[in-house]
Amino acid sequence: MRKSSRIGLILLAVVTAAIFLLPLVWMISTSFKNDFEALAGNMNFIPKKPTIENYVQGLQGELMNVPITRWILNSLSVGIIGTTLVLLLNSMASYALARLQDLPLRRTLFSMFIASLMIPGVLTFLPMYMEFNTFNLINTYYALFLPYTAGAFGVFLLYQFFISFPREIEEAARIDGADKWQIYSRILLPSAVSIMVTLGIFTFMGIYNDFVWPLYATTSPEMRTITAGIAMMAQGSYVQAYGKLMAMTTIATLPVLIVFILGQRSFVKAITQSAVK
Amino acid sequence: MKTTWQSRLTSSLFVLPYLLCFCTFLLFPILYGVYISLHNFELLSVDHEFVGFEHYIKIFTPGTYLNSLFFHGLWATAQFVIYSVPLLIVLGLALALLVHHLPGKLRGLFRTFFFLPYAVSASVMAVIWLMMFDSNAGFINSVLMKLNIQGIPWLTDHPWSWIALVMTTLWWTIGFNMVIFANALNEVPEDYYEAASIDGAGAWRKFASITLPSIRPVMLFVMITSTIASFNIYAQPFLLTRGGPGDTTKVLLINILDQAFVRKELGSASAMAILMALLIMIISIFQFRLTKSRKE
Repeated sequence: MRKSSRIGLILLAVVTAAIFLLPLVWMISTSFKNDFEALAGNMNFIPKKPTIENYVQGLQGELMNVPITRWILNSLSVGIIGTTLVLLLNSMASYALARLQDLPLRRTLFSMFIASLMIPGVLTFLPMYMEFNTFNLINTYYALFLPYTAGAFGVFLLYQFFISFPREIEEAARIDGADKWQIYSRILLPSAVSIMVTLGIFTFMGIYNDFVWPLYATTSPEMRTITAGIAMMAQGSYVQAYGKLMAMTTIATLPVLIVFILGQRSFVKAITQSAVK
Repeated sequence: MKTTWQSRLTSSLFVLPYLLCFCTFLLFPILYGVYISLHNFELLSVDHEFVGFEHYIKIFTPGTYLNSLFFHGLWATAQFVIYSVPLLIVLGLALALLVHHLPGKLRGLFRTFFFLPYAVSASVMAVIWLMMFDSNAGFINSVLMKLNIQGIPWLTDHPWSWIALVMTTLWWTIGFNMVIFANALNEVPEDYYEAASIDGAGAWRKFASITLPSIRPVMLFVMITSTIASFNIYAQPFLLTRGGPGDTTKVLLINILDQAFVRKELGSASAMAILMALLIMIISIFQFRLTKSRKE
């Protein structure tokens, strides 16, 4: 490529990237402004009177009288519990589907799981709500992680990995007297660490960022996840307290942003794997 | 290898926990949803009267409340799909091409920049853009006023509300499409381009006759996932425009959830949800067939 067109290309990339990053930078910048400056309609990225008051209040649970630390702890807890369950259940199931030939209805089960990937969430949303409601589980932690355990994406992803695992290693272990559980937990799982990390990041981000379900599955302020909580604020009368609101969204985004940047490579791998198939 | 019933049992035990979750939180809700949709199912009452297909019939009977709720919502959703999907595909591919042609060292960095907004949640995205679009203090209108252009009522005026919703969606989700396209571009063998260069093909020619055909399967995937995602639009109009101005951005999912949780009529809401799900599945199958048959 000619040098001039290469420079033009880089310039274009820089401008586009600036547009993409601007809202996030603006969010962080506004979070350090007092409410008066945040509403002034200026375009300064460096606050005139920088303040960390929005954060101090937020982390002390005083910000707009909402328990923001509780919300973040809720989100982190259900994210970690849900992800652990998904990893455990999906890896066991896909191990059986990929390696245990004597599993009854093996093909039927596998096709059923894969077909379920086609099902839009709107089909199960309302009946799932009623189901949890019947057992008085709306507004409990159970409602915030159990629904995610039904997803078949992880089964599909791990199946791809387990099916291509060399048979010789498994045979050798069996001759040494290892049973199925030992083969699963001591041989297949340790070899699947990288794909499990991928699935873990994908699942955690999905649960932490999920929006519609936690919005309806929680009813009291202290049970909200951070996404549902912020949505409630955005609809309430606090909507123009931008400095405080932006401090909350910055705190809310931090955990998932760290996971995202650290795990970006694996995250991309998970997406592209599903695209190729 | 001989298999005993004990062996089959232990094999089954590996699948059983997931199968239980699958049945409880996916299979059963689907069937239960059909049951609910055939009843007058009020959220707070205990008795549910069986009404057969009445809700479905009402949805398709012009003049009824359910009919206007469903089809007005569907029309708003369809508009969003029509405005957003082509841009999500074309601009997603354009971004991927841009990243692909950057020097190797910069690629990862810029891919991260474009993908970063995808990491924020729906409500964070909405709150950021509520502030960006604020008609007085918002960043965008501040820029416009500096340029002596009158501020735009982004979220409260037609057609700006649609433009705002599409812009927000592009910012938030296009990184996903970009990543998939960028990966597909990496897989196109370099020799194809070299051979074409020797034959004297220009950049456009190479794109049209090498790049596009090579990434066709990925294009299909992006098309289907983007259409489904746009069909499921909820958070953006729910939080940014609140369905307004008027009811113009009251998309189907807003109407379904309002019917279920505001008016507490779960029966008819479920009927609408089932129809919406069927529509999504039909469209994905149709798109799948369309691209498959073109290949042959």
